[in-house]
Amino acid sequence: MKKLFRGFLLVGTLAGAVVILKGYLGRSETAGEEAVQIIFQDGSTRSLSSNTVEGQEFTDIARKVLEIGV
Amino acid sequence: MAESDTTNTEATPEGDLDRLLGDLRALAGDIESCAVLSGDGDLLSSSHGPGVERDRVTAMLGALAGLARRAAREEGRERAAQLRIQTQAGNLLMVELEGSATLVAATAPEARVGLVLYDMRNARREIEKAIEGGRKS
Repeated sequence: MKKLFRGFLLVGTLAGAVVILKGYLGRSETAGEEAVQIIFQDGSTRSLSSNTVEGQEFTDIARKVLEIGV
Repeated sequence: MAESDTTNTEATPEGDLDRLLGDLRALAGDIESCAVLSGDGDLLSSSHGPGVERDRVTAMLGALAGLARRAAREEGRERAAQLRIQTQAGNLLMVELEGSATLVAATAPEARVGLVLYDMRNARREIEKAIEGGRKS
């Protein structure tokens, strides 16, 4: 019985650690995310990630503009 | 962030634009600063007075408008209606106006961007009228 209880405790601790780690990683991903979204007149959308050269062109300039304000 | 200069509210097209941008900022509290760029690339209204910062902002906003036009051409479209650039420093939002002019707003990263864009689209008509008034006079 004591062995079984220890087993449950270990599984519970591991599951808790996984949940906390997942939440932490998810949060830092969102905070560091950079993206560009272009909406055209017909309502269609094009999204560019800052991983792409094209997306980076937008985010690099935008960052400088945001530093000094418009 | 620079603070908006909304003191010039006299009955001139520039004064109208400054007043309208002041109203927009009051309505959408998440907007930190906003500006209007003409189709020719001139800054019609901005939080910056004449000087180096204004020239820098004008050049950078012109470059962004050019990039958006290029992206639209690549997609076979005439032009982009709206642009949202999300960075770690915040969001830069651009809404196309009549005559290829652009309404630009800067917000903090945690701003409610959908709501800000909604307010910008609602202010568009009045701003277009003020620009049109400036062309006629």
